[in-house]
Amino acid sequence: MTTLHDDMDLKTAASQAAPARRPAATDLLQRRPELASLFLLVAICIAVAVVNPAFLQASSLVDMGRASVVTGLFALGVFAILAAGGIDVSFTAIAALTMYSLTLMVLTVAPWMPMSLILVLSIVSGAILGAINGLLVYGLGVPSLIVTIGTQYLFRGILLAFIGTVWLMELPPQMVAFGKASLFDFETANGAIITLPVYFLVFPAAAILTWLLFQRTLMGRAIFATGGNAEVAARLGYDQRLVHVFVFAYAGALAGLAGIVHVSANRMANPFDLVGSEIPVIAAVVLGGARITGGTGSVFGTVVGVLLITVVNNVLVLVGIPSTWQRVVVGSFILLAAAFFVTRQRQFHSESIK
Amino acid sequence: MKKLSVHIGLVTALMVSAVAFAPEAALAQEKSITTVVKISGIPWFDRMKTGVEKFANENPDMAITQVGPATADSAQQLQIVQDLVAKGTDALAVVPMDPSILEGIFKRAMDRGTIVVTHEADNQKNTMVDVEAFDNDAYGAALNERLAECMGGKGKWTTFVGSLGSRTHMQWVGAGEENAKSKHADMELVDPNNESFDDANATYEKAKEILRKHPDIKGFQTSAGNDVLGVGRAIEEAGLTGKVCLVGTGLPNPSAAYLDSGAITAIGFWDPQKAGMAMNAVAKLLLEGKSVEDGMDLGVPGYEKVSVKQGAGKGQLVIGNGMVLADKDNYKEYLF
Repeated sequence: MTTLHDDMDLKTAASQAAPARRPAATDLLQRRPELASLFLLVAICIAVAVVNPAFLQASSLVDMGRASVVTGLFALGVFAILAAGGIDVSFTAIAALTMYSLTLMVLTVAPWMPMSLILVLSIVSGAILGAINGLLVYGLGVPSLIVTIGTQYLFRGILLAFIGTVWLMELPPQMVAFGKASLFDFETANGAIITLPVYFLVFPAAAILTWLLFQRTLMGRAIFATGGNAEVAARLGYDQRLVHVFVFAYAGALAGLAGIVHVSANRMANPFDLVGSEIPVIAAVVLGGARITGGTGSVFGTVVGVLLITVVNNVLVLVGIPSTWQRVVVGSFILLAAAFFVTRQRQFHSESIK
Repeated sequence: MKKLSVHIGLVTALMVSAVAFAPEAALAQEKSITTVVKISGIPWFDRMKTGVEKFANENPDMAITQVGPATADSAQQLQIVQDLVAKGTDALAVVPMDPSILEGIFKRAMDRGTIVVTHEADNQKNTMVDVEAFDNDAYGAALNERLAECMGGKGKWTTFVGSLGSRTHMQWVGAGEENAKSKHADMELVDPNNESFDDANATYEKAKEILRKHPDIKGFQTSAGNDVLGVGRAIEEAGLTGKVCLVGTGLPNPSAAYLDSGAITAIGFWDPQKAGMAMNAVAKLLLEGKSVEDGMDLGVPGYEKVSVKQGAGKGQLVIGNGMVLADKDNYKEYLF
């Protein structure tokens, strides 16, 4: 008995000693993996600024900010689902179906509808479509990847078969006004006008809301618990059906909102848009430190991941990478970051097993 | 209203085809030509339908209709073609979604005596005649010449393609590049062949980035249908309308607002209405046992003097001169 105790003491001592031997930076990265992406983001910005000082303009920042909104809204939803241990690839189809049907409805039957009501409706209808995902995933007990591949086809099919395939070029005036409303604008040296639109605020607002959800509510804890180990979470008394329906509805709501922002910003509703842009969104969330197997991640990390993807996609021309090479570069960045996270997780696991 | 008219159009088409198929059994000598498009219900093929209907009115003794799948799905198109061949349509005029998928059924159709005419498929092997609206090189050069005219023959310019894998787009910008190099030495091509993936929003972001990198850029030549919308919006929002020229492939209806504001200098396209008529005209010739000769007049504007070449397979490649460049002043003649 004593020997066994001694043995255990030795083991404990060894595992306690191990973190002390490692430099503080590694330890920090262990706990906050998104800092690696943040570091990468800053490094890229510095490198781009050195190669082409034109990057250092307020207009770059504004352009990136605007370009990140739709990806950001999608990513926050995917983050919530990943945290619960699921995956969603149908969010773009939810966004496309919501944005096109709603725009068509406002154009043809309800031109009087104020913008605030349009936004609320987009959130509600997105949430309903998302809830269908949640009910199917929970009810069928099938992996969420399969379910959402199915619903992606279904939602898109409904859109193209029953609602319409024609581009809507003339948007309702309130949507055009929403897309054009500017927070501030200024003129550059060459006479170009740079505008930061009001709709940009939607992204930080959704990020704060998601942060509050995970930090301050029981539902947030239930989601992480489910993602960590669904069986244990169920035994702890977290209603699994509710958790599933909630996360998918939450992601759907954000997707619906993203759709309307996309249309208003783009000044046209193209039913063929959005679907096909899932992969960069999922990549952004994973780059932000969320594990694809669930139970981890942070809102801050997700925002960093979104900014990283947006920046990488928007500076390639600026630094002069020919278009034939751009995909190679984006792919390499994702692989590089993914390799880092996998190594980190392996280290983490071997540590905890010890 | 527009939706309603589309529906009425569909209903009429259904009735017309129902009427057309009914007497087919009775009047066996009545020949039928069926046009099969990539997707039905989108503006491009709705416009083609007006051409097919026009041709049907001019030839009341023939059963002429247009059909197509509801979604852009090559398997559904194949299904439709198979059904038509089984029903014994005399001639097929097809705009293939994916030429390789239709090779087999086209071969079987021709073996049993069905006339097969295609469009937008110059690599289709099993077809009797493939009709193309224009020569790709001539089109690319024409777009570039219009751009050069707007730019005053000098300044920085760049190009957009749908994707680097799109053969026709690369041909268009390649010919444009060649045109600028040989005729306008002061035009400087910068960061060429940007990929747009036919997504107006992605094109917009990329155009913004180019405007930031090259504040002195003077021209854009674009290829995919949505590119002019994305670049046009970037130019307009930056307040550079009239200072930066934009010429590219586009459709008149979606581009109308930007053409009016001047953000788009000119759009190039071919008129699907005329292409539909030309396909049917060729099918009719073949049904009458005639053939298409070099320099022939198909009786359709833009196809008055077609050039005939050897196609990808045994069939002919018939090339018209159906390109249209429209600007603020004349786009209203082509609203679709």
